[in-house]
Amino acid sequence: MFEKVLIANRGEIALRVVRTLREMGIRSVAVYSDADRAALHVRKADEAAYLGPAPSRESYLNIPRILDAARLHKVDAIHPGYGFLSENAEFARACADAGFVFIGPPASAIAAMGSKTAARRIARDGGAPVVPGTEEGLGASPEGRDAASEFAQSVGFPVMLKAVAGGGGKGMRRVDRPADLAAHFDAASSEALRAFGDGRVYVEKLVENARHIEIQILGDRHGNMVHLGERECSVQRRHQKVIEESPSPLMASMPALRQRMGEAAVLAARAAGYYNAGTVEFLADNDGNFYFLEMNTRLQVEHPVTELVTGLDLVRLQLEIADGARLPFTQDQIALRGAAIECRIYAEDPANNFMPSPGRITQLAEPSGPGVRLDSGIYSGWNVPLDYDPMLAKLIVWAGTREHAIERMQRALGEYHIGGIRTNIPLFDAILRDPAFRAGDLYTGYLDELLKQPGLLGLPPAPELAAVAAAAVAAYVKPAAAHAEQPASSPLLTGGRWLRGGRGDLLR
Amino acid sequence: MKPVIRIDGETVSPVSHNTLVEVEPGVYSILAGGASHEVRIEATRVDAGQVTVAKRRFDYQVDDPRQWKRSGDAAGGQGRAAILAPMPGKVVRILVAVGDEVEAGRGIVVVEAMKMQNELKSPRAGRVAAIHAGENDSVVAGAVLAIIDPAPDG
Repeated sequence: MFEKVLIANRGEIALRVVRTLREMGIRSVAVYSDADRAALHVRKADEAAYLGPAPSRESYLNIPRILDAARLHKVDAIHPGYGFLSENAEFARACADAGFVFIGPPASAIAAMGSKTAARRIARDGGAPVVPGTEEGLGASPEGRDAASEFAQSVGFPVMLKAVAGGGGKGMRRVDRPADLAAHFDAASSEALRAFGDGRVYVEKLVENARHIEIQILGDRHGNMVHLGERECSVQRRHQKVIEESPSPLMASMPALRQRMGEAAVLAARAAGYYNAGTVEFLADNDGNFYFLEMNTRLQVEHPVTELVTGLDLVRLQLEIADGARLPFTQDQIALRGAAIECRIYAEDPANNFMPSPGRITQLAEPSGPGVRLDSGIYSGWNVPLDYDPMLAKLIVWAGTREHAIERMQRALGEYHIGGIRTNIPLFDAILRDPAFRAGDLYTGYLDELLKQPGLLGLPPAPELAAVAAAAVAAYVKPAAAHAEQPASSPLLTGGRWLRGGRGDLLR
Repeated sequence: MKPVIRIDGETVSPVSHNTLVEVEPGVYSILAGGASHEVRIEATRVDAGQVTVAKRRFDYQVDDPRQWKRSGDAAGGQGRAAILAPMPGKVVRILVAVGDEVEAGRGIVVVEAMKMQNELKSPRAGRVAAIHAGENDSVVAGAVLAIIDPAPDG
C-alpha cells in the first residue's frame, strides 16, 4: 500500500480524504493557494505544499505545480477529489508519466466520458437506454443552429441544449419554443466556450418531470465491477444538486428498477473500460423508464449517502483498487440498509436571491448525536474565500427509514448555526417540511416550483420568542447588568464583549 | 433611562426570566417560565444586528434615548438610489448606459463572486445618472456601482 498520498483539492473533500488516509496509516499531503493557508484541510493534513495565488488556474488547476509538490513531498499517489482536475484526462496521464499513481479511473475512460456526445454513444452501444439527441456537437454557426433547429422540430419541443464538454450545469439551456432556439443556442455555446474552452453544444429531447437518479459503480483493475445502489438527486437549483438521498423513494414502488438501472450502469462503465469509483447518471420517470445522461468519472460530492446505506468507505476502496487490489465483495454481498439524506450547506442567502455570502465565520455550532455525519471545511474564525465554490459543508444523516431520516435531518439542522455569513440552512427547513418532499414526489423541476411559494422561508410569528430574543439583546448591550447575573468566572467574557463593541465601532 | 429594543422593527419588552448566562461570547442561555432557550447574537453594528432563537432569525436595533438618532433613512426615501456591490467580486457586465430610463427591477450590473453571477437590479423606476464601474473591474463590498435618479413623476 502507498506510504504517502497528495490530495489535489481543497475544503471538505480534501479533509475527507485525509481522514481515511489517517485511518489506513498513510501520510497525507494537502495543497493550498494564498487564499487557503489557514484552511481546515491544511491544518488537518500531515504535510502541506504551497501551490500559488488564489485563482484556481494558478493553484488547484495548475498541473505542473501540483506535480512539483508531489515530487517535493515524495508521494506515491495523488487523489484528485471532485471538481478541479478530477475529470481531466491530461492530469491523470501526467500523474502516471511522472511516476505517481492516479487514484481514479484510467485516463482513456476519463477522456471517453468527458465528451458528452461520445459518452452517449458508448452507453448506447453498451446497451444502456439514452435520451434521443443529436449524434454530434454543434458549433455556434448558421449550420449548427440549423441542425439544432431541425432536430428539435423532429422530436418536438421542449428540448435541452447541453455543452459537449459539459458539467456543473454550465452551457445548459431549456428551450420551449422554436422562436427561442437560436438565442438560447448562442448563449449556451458562449457559456460553454468560457467554461470549458469548447463551444460545441448538442440537443436532447427534454424528458419532462423526470427524476435525476444516479448509480454508484465500483470496479477493480481485474475486470470485476459492482454497483452500490442509487442516489436520488432530483432536488436541484440551476442544475446544481441541493439534497441527495439513498435509496430513491421511487424504488419502494418499483423493486426491480434498482437492479435494471444498476446493470445498465455497469454496462455503460464496462464499455468505457472503466475501473475505480464512478457514477452513471440517469433520468427516470415514475413508470420505471430510464435514460443514460452522463458518467462522472470521479468520486462525487454526494458519495457519503452511499457510504451510509452500504457501510462502505469509498475512499478506502478507491485507494485499495488503485494499489491493485481486487474488489473485496461481489454484487450479491452488497446490502443496502436504512435511508440516508445529504444537505449541501452553501454560503448563500436564500432570502436574497441566493446571493453568495463570503466572509468571516464568527460563530459555529455543529450538529452531532445519533446518525449524524458532518463533512465540513470550516471553523469559527475562518474567512470563507470568494475565489472558490460556495459549498461549506455537507450534513448527512442516516436512519432506519426515510421518514426517520427526514426527522433526524430537521433535528440536526436545528443544532447547526453558522454565524457571520448567510447560509442556505433555512431553505432546507422549508424543503423538509414540504408535503411533496416528504411523500417522495420528486422531479428535477421540484425545487424551482417550491421556490415560487410566497413566504416559503418564513415561520409562523412567535411573539414569545421575540421577547426571549429581546432579553438576550438587553444583556448584550448592557454589560454591567449581564455581568451581575453571571457566574463569578466570566470576567473574560465581559472583556470580550467590550472588545467586540470597540471593534464594531471601528468597522462601522 | 433604559434603551428601547426593537425586534424586526417592533418595540419588544424583554421576557422576564429566571436566569440568563452568557455561555459563549454572544451566546445566551435563558431560562424563562420553565423553558430553556439558546439565543445567539451577531452584531453588525454597535447598536444593531441579528438575533437567532429556535431557528428564527430576527433583526434587532437598540435605540438609546441618551443618543440623538436620525429618524429618517435616505435609502427608503424618494431620492437617488445607489446600486452597491453586495460582496467583493468582479463586474461581469453592465446592462445599461448613462441616461437610460429604467423600470423598477431592471437589471443594472452583473457581479460575479464564488463562481456565481448575480444581477443587481434597480430598486425603483428612474434614469441611470452614473455608472462607476467597468466590465472586469474588481470591486469591494459596498462599492457604488451605479446611481439611479428617480423618475420625474415619482
